[in-house]
This record gives sequence, C-alpha cells and structure tokens, in this order.
Amino acid sequence: METGPNSLPPPLLRRCKVSAVLRALRRRPSRIAGVVIILLFVFMAVAGPWFYPDRLPYDADNIYAPISWEHPLSTDFEGVDVLALVVTGTRGVMLVAVAAGLVTMVVGTAIGLYAGYRRGRPDSVLMRIADFVLTIPGFPLLIVLTVTIGLGAWWKMALVLGLTGWGGLARAVRSQTLSLRERGFIEAARGLGLPTRHIVTRELLPNVAPYIATNLLVAVTAYIYAQVGLYFLGVLPLDTSNWGVMLNAAVFQSGALISPDALPYLLAPLGAILLLTLGVVLIVDALEEIFNPRLRGS
Amino acid sequence: MWRIAGHLTRGLAMIWAVTTFTFVLIRLMPGDPVQVQYERLIAQGMTPDQAESATAITYGFVPHGPMWKQYLEYMWGLAHLDLGVSVESQGVPVADRVFGALPWTVLLVLSGILISFLIGVVLGVVAAMRRSTMVGHGLSIAGSLLHGVPPFVIGIVLAALFTRRWRWFPSGGHFNGDEVSPGFYYDFIGDVAYHAVLPAASFAVASYGGWLLAMRSSVASVLGDDFLLAAELRGLRPFMRFRYLARNAILPLFTVLAISFGLVFGGSIFIERIFNYPGLGMLLYQSIGARDFSMMSGAFLLITAAVIVANILADVLYTVIDPRVRRQA
Repeated sequence: METGPNSLPPPLLRRCKVSAVLRALRRRPSRIAGVVIILLFVFMAVAGPWFYPDRLPYDADNIYAPISWEHPLSTDFEGVDVLALVVTGTRGVMLVAVAAGLVTMVVGTAIGLYAGYRRGRPDSVLMRIADFVLTIPGFPLLIVLTVTIGLGAWWKMALVLGLTGWGGLARAVRSQTLSLRERGFIEAARGLGLPTRHIVTRELLPNVAPYIATNLLVAVTAYIYAQVGLYFLGVLPLDTSNWGVMLNAAVFQSGALISPDALPYLLAPLGAILLLTLGVVLIVDALEEIFNPRLRGS
Repeated sequence: MWRIAGHLTRGLAMIWAVTTFTFVLIRLMPGDPVQVQYERLIAQGMTPDQAESATAITYGFVPHGPMWKQYLEYMWGLAHLDLGVSVESQGVPVADRVFGALPWTVLLVLSGILISFLIGVVLGVVAAMRRSTMVGHGLSIAGSLLHGVPPFVIGIVLAALFTRRWRWFPSGGHFNGDEVSPGFYYDFIGDVAYHAVLPAASFAVASYGGWLLAMRSSVASVLGDDFLLAAELRGLRPFMRFRYLARNAILPLFTVLAISFGLVFGGSIFIERIFNYPGLGMLLYQSIGARDFSMMSGAFLLITAAVIVANILADVLYTVIDPRVRRQA
C-alpha cells in the first residue's frame, strides 16, 4: 500500500491538495470567477425549476416586453419571461450531459488504462476502435440517430452522447499510462509482486485522474452544446424548455434576427452559452496548473 | 508508400463499417421505412412484384428475402456509387444530389480551415512569445473561449450582424442564380466567393482558437530547444529565428488537423442551416426533416467518407512535411 506518490498519510495529502487549489485560485482571481460561474449554473440546474411553476405563465399582452425588474431579460413571443426560460432550461440538458460525461469517463478511462497497461495486440485493436470513434463525425451521427432510434428519452441521449465521445479521453489516458508505466514507482510496484488490480487502480489511476477530471468538464460542456444544437436545429421535439428551443424559435421562427425588440430573447441563450464556456475555460486553466506544477513558472 | 496503402485499407474498412451501420440502422428502425413504402405502394394498387422493384430502386436493396442478400445487394450498389433514389422527390438519384452538394461543403470547410489555420498559427506564436503579458493572456483566453463555444453560436452572431443588422452579405444561397450562371469566369467566381464569405468566416472564427492553443503550447515546448539558442548565437535575423521556430512547432498541429476535419464537417450542418447554404449538411438536415431515409443515409455516408479522406490526406501531408516520419516508414 505504502508505495508511490500515495505514501503520504491521507490527511496531509488532502491538505496539500486543498492548499494547492487555494493557491491556484489566488494566483489569478479570474479563476474564482470561473468557479462562481460554474456553481451558478449547477445551482440553476438543481434549484432553478423550484422557483418557477411547472408551466411558465404566458401573457399575450406583454410580448417582447421592455427590460424591467419584473422581466429582467424581457419576454418571448408569447410573453413568457426569458430569464425563467433560461433558468428552467438548464436542468434537463445538464442532467443528460453529466450522465453522458460519466459514461464517457468510465468507458474512456477503462479502455485507455487497459490499452496502455497491456500494450501489444489489445492496445492496437482498442486504439483502432478509438480512432474510428474519433473519426466518425459526431454531430451528423447524432441527428441520424434522433430519427432512427429516437433520442427522446434522457437515458438514450446520455448513452449515445457518452458512447460517441470517449475516443479522445481513451487516447489521452492511454498515452499517459504508457509513459507512467515506465516510471520507477510502477516498476517498484510490479517488482513487489503487487496484483495488477492494485497497480492499475491505486498507482496508475490517481496519476491519470487530473486528465480525466479536465476531460470530464470539457466533455460535459460539449454534451450540453450538442443537445442545445439538436434542439436548435429542430430535429428533436420542441415541447420542452431549453436554450436550444429558444434559439430555434428566435432564429428560425420569430425573426428575432430582424426585430430589435426580440433581441434579448436571442441574446439570453447565447449569453448563457458564452458564460458557461467562460466558466469552464477558467476552471480548466486552474485545474491544469494544480495538476501540472511545471506550468506555474510561466 | 506502405503507409499510404495502410491508410487506404483502414479508410475503406471504416467506410465499410459505416455503410453496414447505416444499413442496419435503416432496417432496425421503428416502422421500417422500407416496409412502409412497400406497403404503401401495394395499397396504391401495385402488384407485389412492381412494388418490390420500386422499393428496391429507392433504397438500393430488395425489401424482401434474407437479410444477407439484401445487404449484399446494397453493398453491390454502393460499390457502383448507386445510393438509391430519393424518397421525397421521386426519381431523383441520391448520388446526384449528394455529389452535387459535396463541392459546396468542401469549399466552405477548406476555406474555413485554411483561414483559421493561418490566423491561429500566427496568433499562437504571438501568444507563446508574449505569454506572460496581457496580450498573451488575452489571446489565450479569447482563443479558448471561441474554441469552446459551439460553432452555431458564432454562425448566429455573424448572421445577425452582417446579414440583418448591416446587410453587407447575402443571407442565403451559394450564388445568385438570377444574375450569374455557373461557369469559370470572373463574375461567377466573385459571386460564389461573396456568398461563401460569411459561412466560411463562421468556420474560421469557430475553429481558430483550437489552432491558437495547440500552436501556443507547441511553440512553448520548442522555445527551450538548443537549435534556437544556436541560431540566436549565430546572429541570425529575428525573422529567420521565427522561421526555425515555426517550422518545428507547426508539426504537431497536423495531427490536430485530422481531428478537426470531423468537427468542422459536423458543424457544417449548423452553418449551412443558418446561412441556407445548399451543401451536404443542409441536405442531411432537409432529408431528416422530410424523413427521406435513402437521402439521409447517402448524405451521412458521404460526410463520413469526406472526413475519412480528409484524414488520410492530412496524414500524407504530415509525411511530406516531416522528413522523420518518412524515413521511419
């Protein structure tokens, strides 16, 4: 048990990590903004729908209302509050994206670790498959699947997204594993006759975890955008509320591109996407520094 | 040479896998469209024989008989570039439509990738050289932000700004059919370019960030190399040092190029939809809206094939540019 980088007693190890996180945050205050943004979106996803009734009230007399305290982001073509639409549109998409991210994480990590640790034939076969998954243009495949097998159910969507997106992670984990397995502490573990299970889960996994964490964050955002894109194109039923449905209505139906009154309705989901991306970029920047101390010099 | 042969076999194997996949997909679909059309034709008063051959023409395989036989028929047709006939607009061969749409998408994708590559590489070098200054940080953040934002956001913003707010560019189409007719002369090419500017720019803006980031980290890793120090000691002009640096740092980007083709072709559905540009992505979108499954599988197949071919070309390009890879092979 007491080999490799995990030889510190657990409390000390944990304290190091917490202080590293705090240090990285303090070095560039913008990263704190990133954390705040992501927490805001998580909060919107978890608690957002509780603030609003199941069916948002619409008000035909108040279409594209001017910005006011009552409607901070104006109203849409039916007089529904845009802020409410943005907030309530977060949960469904994010739930699917997180589930898909977990699928990607499990599949990508397992295949990457196995291929990198076994090497030889399993490695080359698995990497061929990973290349195949990477090469197939994901979005066209997704919209073909929406009409053939149907992606209405959330778990189907999550599964398909997760299973089309693991190629990159598997490759990253594999190349990391390949270089790690030549390092001293892995050789020592092998020399000690520790079981493979132990080496892979206790020695290799903690060292590739940073890549997985970063990748997971990026993958979850990509999956959010893939879903928003599907709704935006209108290939999924538009009966739910989310950012993609809003964009679809704003761009293709209500002519928000032309009338300036409707502009907030178009800008709100775009702004939400931009803000989410900004948060992810800032956090990934912080994560990279925490996990890769060599970057700190620059 | 062997390397290229290996790529070709792998590419063919992938195309085969994708065609098999689409075949299975269409057969397994709820309310099998092949069966549905067959029954509709019978209901219209055709004899089973007639209905069978009509359906076979549409989908490229006979709707009855054992699965493996249908599959072989389908493959045989594909090998002759016969993709069946459109369900929606009867009698139009799918192959004509998809190969007619392909050049327009290739035009957008290639010009978009080329522009974004050039901008991204130059800005990436700048960001790496000035990485501890505000300029460097600003470039990196802007690059990662635009890289992270999905391409349709960029497309919507550009469309809103330049076709509606300021009517600088046309809001749709690939050329103005009323004024110019296709041909190899100045006016036509100008008009095509005029219509392609915004979609191509959307691709470019959406993807230059990736190049910027890749180039920045690549330059940062080359910067410490001895040959650059030697070049400096030899008193070479800064421009020559830049060339040394760029030529070495640019190599890893060609592996990224291969991956980016898939993303850009995928994004073409959005961009073409937003700008009403009649390329492959638009065709795929329309066929999905109309539930035209033979057209859909044809368009999907060609998009995938285009990505695979682009991948192979990117790899060949890599061997041309990096002599070390050539010698290994």
